[in-house]
Amino acid sequence: MNALGLIFADSYDGALDKLTEKRTLAAVPFGARYRVVDFLLSNMVNAGIHDIGITTTGKYDSLMHHLRSGAPWDLDRKRSRLAFLPPYTSYNGGGIPENRLEAIQNNLQYLKSLPHKYVLMSGCNYVANIDFEKAFEYHIASGARITALYTKTDLHRQQELEVMEYTIEEDGRISGHKNAELGDEIRPLSINTYIMEREDLIEIAERSRRQGKHSFRHEILFPMIDAGEKVMSYEIPAPVLFMEDLSTYLRHSLKLLKADVRDALFHVDGRPILTNVKDSAPARYGDNAKVTNSLIADGTVIEGEVRNSIIFRGVRVGRDTVVENSVIMTDVTIGDGVRLNYAVIDKDAIIQDCRSLSGYITHPFYMGVNEVI
Amino acid sequence: MINRKKCIAMLLAGGQGSRLAPLTNDTAKPVVPFGARYRIIDFPLANCVNSGIDTVGVLTQYQPLELNDYLGIGSPWDLDLRYGGLHVLPPYQAAKGSDWFKGTANAIYQNIRFIKQYNPEYVLILSGDHIYKMDYSIMLEEHIKNKADCTLAVIDVPLEDASRFGIMFTDKDGRVTEFEEKPKHPKSTQASMGVYIFSTDALIRYLEEDEADPDSQNDFGHNIIPKMLADNCRLFTYLFTGYWRDVGTLNSYWASNMDALGDMPTLWLNDPDWRIYYRHSFNHPQYMGEHADVTHSICGDGNEIDGKIEKSVIFNNIIVEEGAEIKDSIIISGCTIKKGAKIEYAILDGGVTVEEGAVIGGPAEGGTLAVIGRDVHIGKGAVVKPGESVTEDREGV
Repeated sequence: MNALGLIFADSYDGALDKLTEKRTLAAVPFGARYRVVDFLLSNMVNAGIHDIGITTTGKYDSLMHHLRSGAPWDLDRKRSRLAFLPPYTSYNGGGIPENRLEAIQNNLQYLKSLPHKYVLMSGCNYVANIDFEKAFEYHIASGARITALYTKTDLHRQQELEVMEYTIEEDGRISGHKNAELGDEIRPLSINTYIMEREDLIEIAERSRRQGKHSFRHEILFPMIDAGEKVMSYEIPAPVLFMEDLSTYLRHSLKLLKADVRDALFHVDGRPILTNVKDSAPARYGDNAKVTNSLIADGTVIEGEVRNSIIFRGVRVGRDTVVENSVIMTDVTIGDGVRLNYAVIDKDAIIQDCRSLSGYITHPFYMGVNEVI
Repeated sequence: MINRKKCIAMLLAGGQGSRLAPLTNDTAKPVVPFGARYRIIDFPLANCVNSGIDTVGVLTQYQPLELNDYLGIGSPWDLDLRYGGLHVLPPYQAAKGSDWFKGTANAIYQNIRFIKQYNPEYVLILSGDHIYKMDYSIMLEEHIKNKADCTLAVIDVPLEDASRFGIMFTDKDGRVTEFEEKPKHPKSTQASMGVYIFSTDALIRYLEEDEADPDSQNDFGHNIIPKMLADNCRLFTYLFTGYWRDVGTLNSYWASNMDALGDMPTLWLNDPDWRIYYRHSFNHPQYMGEHADVTHSICGDGNEIDGKIEKSVIFNNIIVEEGAEIKDSIIISGCTIKKGAKIEYAILDGGVTVEEGAVIGGPAEGGTLAVIGRDVHIGKGAVVKPGESVTEDREGV
């Protein structure tokens, strides 16, 4: 694939508040053994993209620790690489970017150093298994200047985040844009993923820097659409799980318990989702374990009951404990006789014996990294 | 600058393992799957790395394709190094002809050049058919302290089992005074684990002498050790007290797998200080369905389980449909167990399909293991009796 990938590890719009307090959006754990970025990286690698840059603002220790050299994705090559692009990476790079366009402006040197014709750029606010090769074929065949990827879905969230809805003509051209409204109605929503020519992007970034522009959407994409430039749309046929706030995070995590969602994410021929490996032992079920309708990672030790939940690597669930409708992240220890319902428990937290903690699907109970109850 | 390693390991991985058939029909014993996600060879390799030994020669011979694929360049064990690391050493052709490895000692003899290349002070000899977690560095310390020519790791076995092993007799300092290979009437219970540390000079000297002897079987246990003992070399034992099992038979293989189960397993795989590394197969986390009922078991990744599983070892990418029951069994990767099938006290090799209502095996108590070979198809309602070994498809009824 004659393209490079550019990943924006941060949302710049403030999402998943507590989950991103200590990490970038890209490093948010998802699906019992993955991080959000794993899906995007795997999609790119599966499409034959091997030069991938990841821009970050801060809090990127967790992300770097996870990705390391990129070896699990075979990205530690001599002729290509996984490039970390934190602030202050180069001589004329500038400081901490406040939005995507600024992140691009800061990393022009990286973009210029590569020979690829196209660039695929994406934020990390969603999880999906996407055939990017098809998206490229569409982009090239349509002769678009920019192809914007979208999905048809509804939108539920508490936070006032900006999600774009497109107006799409019969030929696939995008003719309008607006902020999407909340509700059950299915709408064509932007997933913040774009394909365009690398040299075009470099030129746009250089010009916009001189003009003091900072927003890719508001100052580049929208004016192009308004001016009738050829901005095409490409629909993702697979389910897209947005990461918007804690409630959608829990709802979308629990969607993995549906066979069709699991199949679309994990069982696509030739498009595996890869992640960093930990050499965990197999999951061990105790004599009184009772686990139903749940996704269980390796390295876990389960002696109690787990229903409708996502259990990450290395979690311990004690005796006479009941975990329901919850997401329990890596290496959390849950003691004996605990009750958990609609909870999101972040990494390395410890819940001691006989605690009872509950939220609701719209307001999950959240416990932070390393916290003890 | 002259590079040199203090200690390198030579891992004998060429054995056929015929007593593990049909699991070893198409593959070498060291690469037989174990413990829901490992291969047998992961244990000695992880032991090396966790003991600080970073140079391992793996001697292969029988059915090496899968083994070579699995080992690769050793990266899963951090053995992909600039200097040292993992090296696969197959039999080879030389100017004066070519030879298969004739015995354990001959296999090492044919690779003396590999040893000399690293110029180590000590050579650790391992075999690829034991499940154990052992810190070789402690044994090496003992070897050095004793100024030994060879140190043999031993384990205390029950007297009734002792005649299956090489048995050591030692004086009060642990120096070996007598050695008997599989004695009919064992006088001691110190059994050789097949783990040796040699001082390199002594090793090379005795390998060369052994090779020159046309009557020798070229075997460490039968020839090298008795010869060294006869020559009054300094042979010492190192008593190992941790978990160790020879998994050379289907029964011992099954039993060792079962040791990883339960709330207090004797084979503790979760030990954060002694990880067993393995080559990953990248599957999604296992999904337990609405009707799943899994107790006293270990499970790998990529499974979709909706049946009842008890006291079993379940590998990767396995589908167990609603109403299927599995007990006291080992199910290796890629198997599909359909509705209402019953499996008890059995080993299913990879890729087996068990159709609806089929019955395999019987109660473990007093029974014998049923074994289904790789990729075998067991038809709807078919019956596989306890003790059967099935390597061809069985039609349904």
